[in-house]
Amino acid sequence: MTVIAADRARRHTARSVLRRIDGVTVDHLAAAIDRPESVGPRLAELDAEWDLDRTIETEAAVMGLVGLALGTFVNRKFLVLPAAVGTGVLLFGWFGVYPLLPLFRRLHIRTGGDIQRERYALKALRGDFAELPTDTGPKSPAPMN
Amino acid sequence: MDLSTLPATSLRVERSTPPAVNERIRSLTDAEILRLEAADDQELAARLVELDHEWDVERLLQVNASVLVLLGLALGATRDRRFLVLPAAVFSFFAQHALQGWCPPIPMFRRLGVRTQREIARERFAIKALRGDFDGVTKADAPASHRVRDILKAVDT
Repeated sequence: MTVIAADRARRHTARSVLRRIDGVTVDHLAAAIDRPESVGPRLAELDAEWDLDRTIETEAAVMGLVGLALGTFVNRKFLVLPAAVGTGVLLFGWFGVYPLLPLFRRLHIRTGGDIQRERYALKALRGDFAELPTDTGPKSPAPMN
Repeated sequence: MDLSTLPATSLRVERSTPPAVNERIRSLTDAEILRLEAADDQELAARLVELDHEWDVERLLQVNASVLVLLGLALGATRDRRFLVLPAAVFSFFAQHALQGWCPPIPMFRRLGVRTQREIARERFAIKALRGDFDGVTKADAPASHRVRDILKAVDT
């Protein structure tokens, strides 16, 4: 299994949307080749980028609190809203599906996996892995154990 | 609200964890990498599959929070309305976690060694580097589109 195949939310994103999201990643990498000095700032941007988990957690908390307030002060029937939110978050945590997932993905919200993928591609591009000692023969025992 | 004053998404849990606890999680990862330095490809592949299935902080929290919310709602609807305080508290802390990276279970999770996606990725790509996945992917003379393709291939496999 590859890193992106293991990403639960990616599995539940439409193919065409994935193509668009991955296309943006490719564009960023191509831009980094043209301007190597942009890699550092881009890595900082990637750490700051709101991923799917943070977006859904914020949205769910707001919807849940609104639903609880309406259910407490207006009509008990509004408690269906926090119940739906709780169920949605449980489904997202367990299976990677969420009612608003198609919307968020179309808004180009990336998963943590998408972001780490671009991050390490940038690091490889910058040559972070090029200076490491290469060991092509049979693996030698690690010096420290 | 000015979102730029909030901590960075992938660092916010580390930033709200005591440095000693972060350091312990980091050194456990480092020890694992050191152990795998002597491992064969099969063992490395097996570890990568384990990492695919490792529950990160966000996932664990989402499942925990939603179970508490549903429990509180069920009790509030059938027993006593005052139980609705539970889902209200959970949603509030959930928002605090999303924005600031801290909520009550986080210190416990971190002391149990539950890692963020960024920390798990660090081990994943150290293993991939160890395996030689990035050897020779950065040929500066290749056309840009080929370099991007080769590097993404190395990252994804």
